[in-house]
Amino acid sequence: MLTYIIRRILILIPMAFAICFLVYLGLELTPGDAVSYMINPDALGSMNPEQLEALRQSLGLGQPFHVRFWVWFTNLLQGNFGYSTTGGVPISSIIATRLPATLELAGVALVISTVLGSLLGVFSALKRGTVTDSALTVIGMLGVSIPEFFFGLVAILVFGLNLGWLPVGGRSMPGDITFLDRLPHLVMPSLVLSIMLTAGVMRYARSSMLDALSRDFIKTARSKGLPEWRVNALHGFRVALTPVVVLIGFRLPVLIGGSVIIEQVFQWPGIGNEFISAVRSQDYPVVMSIALLTVMAVLLASLIVDVLTALIDPRVRLGA
Amino acid sequence: MTMTQPIGSPVSSGDVALSVRNLKTFFYTNKRCNKAVNGVSFEIKKGKTLCIVGESGCGKSVTASAIMQLLPTLSRIEDGEIVYYSERGDIRLDTLERNGKAMRSIRGSEIAMIFQDPMTALNPVFTIGFQIVENLRYHTALRGRQLRDKAIDLLRSMGIPAPERRVEQFPHQFSGGMRQRAMIAMAMACNPKILIADEPTTALDVTIQAQIFELMATLQREHGTAIMLITHDMGVVAELADDVAVMYMGNIVEAGTVDEVLRRPSHPYTRALLDSVPVLGRGKNQDIRAIPGSTPDPFDRPGGCQFADRCAYRLEACDAALPAETHLSPTHRVRCVRHEEFANGVRS
Amino acid sequence: MTETTHEARPRTRRDAQFDRIRAQEEAGRLNHPSGSRLLRKFLNNRLALIGLILFTVIVVTAVFAPFLTPWDPNKINLRAMLQPPSWEHWFGTDRTGRDLFARVLYGGRISILVGLGSAVLAAIVGVLIGVYTGYVGGWLDAIAMRVSEIFMSFPQIILVLLLVSILGQSLVNLMLIFVLTGWGGIYRMARARMLSLREEEYVLALRSFGLGRALIAYKHMLPNALGPIMVNVTLSTAAFILQEAGLSFLGLGVPLSIPTWGNILNVAQDLRVLQNNWWIWLPVGATISLFVLSVNFIGDGLRDATDPTQQG
Repeated sequence: MLTYIIRRILILIPMAFAICFLVYLGLELTPGDAVSYMINPDALGSMNPEQLEALRQSLGLGQPFHVRFWVWFTNLLQGNFGYSTTGGVPISSIIATRLPATLELAGVALVISTVLGSLLGVFSALKRGTVTDSALTVIGMLGVSIPEFFFGLVAILVFGLNLGWLPVGGRSMPGDITFLDRLPHLVMPSLVLSIMLTAGVMRYARSSMLDALSRDFIKTARSKGLPEWRVNALHGFRVALTPVVVLIGFRLPVLIGGSVIIEQVFQWPGIGNEFISAVRSQDYPVVMSIALLTVMAVLLASLIVDVLTALIDPRVRLGA
Repeated sequence: MTMTQPIGSPVSSGDVALSVRNLKTFFYTNKRCNKAVNGVSFEIKKGKTLCIVGESGCGKSVTASAIMQLLPTLSRIEDGEIVYYSERGDIRLDTLERNGKAMRSIRGSEIAMIFQDPMTALNPVFTIGFQIVENLRYHTALRGRQLRDKAIDLLRSMGIPAPERRVEQFPHQFSGGMRQRAMIAMAMACNPKILIADEPTTALDVTIQAQIFELMATLQREHGTAIMLITHDMGVVAELADDVAVMYMGNIVEAGTVDEVLRRPSHPYTRALLDSVPVLGRGKNQDIRAIPGSTPDPFDRPGGCQFADRCAYRLEACDAALPAETHLSPTHRVRCVRHEEFANGVRS
Repeated sequence: MTETTHEARPRTRRDAQFDRIRAQEEAGRLNHPSGSRLLRKFLNNRLALIGLILFTVIVVTAVFAPFLTPWDPNKINLRAMLQPPSWEHWFGTDRTGRDLFARVLYGGRISILVGLGSAVLAAIVGVLIGVYTGYVGGWLDAIAMRVSEIFMSFPQIILVLLLVSILGQSLVNLMLIFVLTGWGGIYRMARARMLSLREEEYVLALRSFGLGRALIAYKHMLPNALGPIMVNVTLSTAAFILQEAGLSFLGLGVPLSIPTWGNILNVAQDLRVLQNNWWIWLPVGATISLFVLSVNFIGDGLRDATDPTQQG
């Protein structure tokens, strides 16, 4: 098991390195002086041209490309992403303040969509060919077809503006201290964000469950006289679970993409919101850093998926 | 509830474990009706082996599934009866609710089944032990530690080495033959009265096949289990069967004791099947004849005898209606217009 | 006679259905269906048929927009601002008095062009590379595989926005970006299909006849991979339409001067518009949803029809 995990990590490292390289290439090719994002802008402002030139030398900016890349890369490994060109703030501190909000939103949406999606999908599969099944199929189809920001707008209009039940945006009000105070803010964005994911998970769980139920071992389980719930829940669902877990891991890019737009709709102060403003103001260091961060998150998720699959599927775990 | 006596065969339920009478099972896929099993009657005798022989698609597996009520959703038993002569009285299996309590209490405990491919028939994510214990938990009073011990005992009696270790392993860690042994252990867990084996060795190597059949024969001797063995291999029939039923396109075309059917085949199809099997020791110049043509489209069946199109002895009468069942002896029956001439050796 | 325990099985709706089929079968009224199996399966799928009709209607109205509305989608009319739907303006007017029905029709042209066009282009690129590398293998295969892996490890919208920030906003750039970010999925699928087809006997036979590699790959193997490729094209069309809408909604997609479905929705970020002028965002939002829905229905229908394991 351990060697399996290590092997997966070893495969990911060159990949991560290649992506870092590409991101740096992007930074080099986009307009802007590298000094502006490598140094605290306050310090930069108080410098005279000679000092600036000396600084450029010490940062390796006069050096060939691979040396410059290496300086940037080692900084990155120490958590130093550089500075935002528009705000002058260290990017690492932007990420540190924005990340918790995004994790909160995405985490809740992931849990909701996983639980709801698998349950509905399995239910739909067990009810195959009935009106319930068709209805769920069409609803799932609607879920993946309606743009999530449109859901967001309708939700804001109905529950925020017309009914006034929930705040229309933001993560908290002044004076909100505990998580419970902030909870009303979280409800709409997380539910809206989870709609498309839930629909996706549901469709997948349904076909995975149907596939599991069509296998021979289901017939074997019935031939042993097991009650239907045990045949379905234990023999069927347990086997259907593996691909669903894999899917949920691979849904992370969708989740990140969705949260970029949803954070904008609900003015949620997360990474996605920051990313959009950086794209708008062409703050390349921030754009690149956040892009890099999301890729690393995706790679990490694929690693976690591999480990999880190994945990729930003995064929993978025991190296069949 | 009265039961009509099947023509000619004596009803002495004393030595019969299960009887099937005029069973019809149709499939309803793709908005069509496929008469997969169209009026089949036979008996499984206590402690004996009944072999059902036929090409793929002839309805032999469907018959087995019908007995166990394991038919797919889009199919149903249309007609006929399946009676299981249990110690508690006779039970009409065909009228029980498919996955209802009554049916479930019989499955796995009194009638058990093993399948063609032990790789796919075992659940890959549970240990062999877990899958055997599952059966014991639902049909016996054993609990906790006893369950595991019983599972180990079963594996040991199936000839699986190191059962204490094997019981913790997953199906993919077993070889094909060992998997089928584990499958048999699972089926034999509750000491069933009837074991239905649906081509249990088709997916296995020839040498392993012999071992599995030997194991089944041993178990039958020790426990007095009645076996219904589905196969397409005439060699296996000669080896194991007490009784034989030959199926073609949903009908039993010929049935009888193994001696009757193999020594005096009275249906052209039976003879064709026998002629298509090479016999060991007869050398390489023996006359092996393939059956001409292929099985008809189940949705476009011949009007009369289903085998007529491929039959060398075809007459006009063959196309009129399905030939009635004729008894050559109390046990030997055949569905062929020309069975008399045929049995006397007439060619064409 | 022996005593038999007997419990009655309740008749279900399915039994009635079975009876009907059996009666028809016995009356000989069920014949072997003729014509293309794929087409028949597709047309038998009610949802796919609905999708096809919806799709056709929306595409036709977008294409023939000039014949369906007298209004110019970009004509500003300050005397007719924010008018609710009327006989004159079916979907009302926006904040600068432009006719929204005309904007939805003309916007559809661009949105469908971006969605369908990028999907088809991405598929062509992906298939051309995938079919060849999948069959031939070698260093080209290794490189294409690594590159696609890198592309696919980015969440798509992040990569799209990143490229938008570098390349700038324009219609051509957006399509270019969609092709650049979208070819990977179809490439990998085409490649995987080729890898399995490569081992099939008919391919070995063709090779033993001495046919050229490109000929075998594109002429003899590609048609066998078309089903999943078509499904993939529909699914990426749906995804691109949604992405274009999302990006334009954020003001980062097609420049706002060109009407697209997403650009029309852009103003709904303003809560006042959202609350008071439903006709600005509701019809176009519904149009996007219906169009994507129709494409998804078609995709699902195609998948079922081309999947040999599904009966039909």
